[in-house]
Amino acid sequence: MITCSEFMAEFGNYLDNEVPTKVRQQLEDHVAQCRTCQVICDSTRKTLKIVTDSGSFDLPDAAAKPIIDRIMAKIRTEL
Amino acid sequence: MSYVQEVDLGGSFPPFASFQEHFGVVPNLFRAQSSLPRIVLGEAEIIDAVLFKDWNLSRTQKEYILLAVGVAYRATYCVALHYQVLHSLGVPDHQLDQIVINYSKAAMSTSDAALLDFAIKLAMYAPWLSGDDIDALRDHGFNDESVLEAILVTGLATFLCTLSTGLSPSPDFEPRASTAANDMSAPETGYVGGTGGPYLRTVERSPESFPPFAIFLERFGFIPNLFRAQTLRPDVLEAEVELFGNVLGPKDFLSHVQKECILLVASGANLNTYCVADHCEMLRAMGVSMEESDQIVLDHNEADLSKETKALLDFVLKLAARRSSISSEDIANLRGHGFTEEHILETVAVTALNNFLNTLQMGLGTTPDVKPRHVYGLKDALVTLAEERPQERAQIDPDASLVARVKAGDLDAFEELVTRHSRRVHRTLVGIVGNVPEAQDAFQETFLKAFRHISSFQGRSTFSTWLLTIASNTGLQCLRERKPLESFDDDHETEEFHPRLVRAWANNPEQLYSEAERRQIVEHAVTMLPAKYRVVLVLRDIEQLSTGEAAVALNLGISTLKSRLLRARLMLREALAPYFATSAKRMGL
Repeated sequence: MITCSEFMAEFGNYLDNEVPTKVRQQLEDHVAQCRTCQVICDSTRKTLKIVTDSGSFDLPDAAAKPIIDRIMAKIRTEL
Repeated sequence: MSYVQEVDLGGSFPPFASFQEHFGVVPNLFRAQSSLPRIVLGEAEIIDAVLFKDWNLSRTQKEYILLAVGVAYRATYCVALHYQVLHSLGVPDHQLDQIVINYSKAAMSTSDAALLDFAIKLAMYAPWLSGDDIDALRDHGFNDESVLEAILVTGLATFLCTLSTGLSPSPDFEPRASTAANDMSAPETGYVGGTGGPYLRTVERSPESFPPFAIFLERFGFIPNLFRAQTLRPDVLEAEVELFGNVLGPKDFLSHVQKECILLVASGANLNTYCVADHCEMLRAMGVSMEESDQIVLDHNEADLSKETKALLDFVLKLAARRSSISSEDIANLRGHGFTEEHILETVAVTALNNFLNTLQMGLGTTPDVKPRHVYGLKDALVTLAEERPQERAQIDPDASLVARVKAGDLDAFEELVTRHSRRVHRTLVGIVGNVPEAQDAFQETFLKAFRHISSFQGRSTFSTWLLTIASNTGLQCLRERKPLESFDDDHETEEFHPRLVRAWANNPEQLYSEAERRQIVEHAVTMLPAKYRVVLVLRDIEQLSTGEAAVALNLGISTLKSRLLRARLMLREALAPYFATSAKRMGL
């Protein structure tokens, strides 16, 4: 059974599905036994989902047009 | 013009006379190193022993290897030099042109083609090299002496390519166009890891009667297997000792610890289990703990090193791993950290020496001298390949035709590209700089830079990744100008980060808030992250770049990127916990 710090050392790769099957099994065995790591794992996955789906920092279409026009005007004057 | 200043050593400087005789010219690569003549002297010894001296392979065969590896490395300078040498040896230009395009179609003898297959595999995919590859050469009539010579010449090729990449000397001859077709695909199976040998016959030599071994014994306390495996060539071992002495011995510019750190980081970049173990051992003998060496290999930016040494090692990582070309900005960055011409030259020379040794070791397959604490596996190799060769995944670029039209002067095509990528670039920049007004200035600057430099875009990545790299650099520049308020380069952690809030989260936390509220919560939390973590999170988790692409865009090593990403995610989790944990009440915004 791996320790919590061993779990954390591989946690980043685990989140990105970059661990070999054998290591994955060890990590999952640990999570099944350790409430703290289970919570951290679950909440970090949820964090990633929320961040990915949030549409954060998007540029509203209405705001994009004048900026793009400014850029193209500048390029045309440079030529 | 080279990145470092030259001094005039005169034509009678012995190495220059030898180069003139054997290359027909004193290559600018060596003139570029004239501020430290001892380094050129050491290089002349190894070049003489490996390349100029007649042994088993002909000079033409050796130059074929140097040319083909130069092409695979995209080392334009080396390709032009070795093309010219082969031309002067009587190889017809049409055959040389074909070697530059694709040596397997260059009408060479089957044994010479086998030699190049071996050299390219060793130079580009060394961890996959095995005893089978050695046997394939034996089947073509090469004996162990010839195979050793092929390994040495390939090592020399990586040495010269690394020097030319790091120093950027003016070409000696007209550069040859290269499509890098010699860069064969990564092998699908047969990963060995570089320690599957030793593959070649050796002869017994004792430190009592063979001075190089006495020197190794005195310096390291043991005779490394890497050198025991080369005993068929005592003259080369003598030249190697000379080279090591001249490059690694003095400590008038870089310290011994700095040089060992360079060797350690560069060996790590090449996934060389054997050399990493040895350099950890060397550092231990210099008083650096194993734990500290581990940290340097894992992520030198998190190790207890000065800011200057970290900048130096960033440069080394980039140069050793051939991740991307070295630019004058990289050199300027080193100067900005107080490094002189001599420091920079030594750094390039030590990194080149490392690549030489790493190549020899993988070619010889020597087993470790000490028990390795890091054993690089197939996964490490695949990740490294992905970051070194993003172009392999970029064959289908949806923007390719628009880019071609822009290059032909079509402004409407550029407007289409701006429109197509405006959201990604905007997200990236707001995420990096943390506020909309500054991001919009950087947004304009990003597209102007892209337009001005589009002629230099070679399609080695997708246009989209290239553009995000420009955006990231522009955003990071904003942060640096804002210093000391917030800095991407700041190496001092405010405090160690440990996950503190370990309450479970709601089953469907996103349902607790409206879309607009969630977005506001996330934007605020991401903006509050320290810059160096925020940047990584934005590129990986918001823009969904791959680890390799994000590392290239930010000029970070994979391990640094990964450790920062994990920390960023954990910090963000912490920041969001009050909103989404089961015990949290729905918070007013």
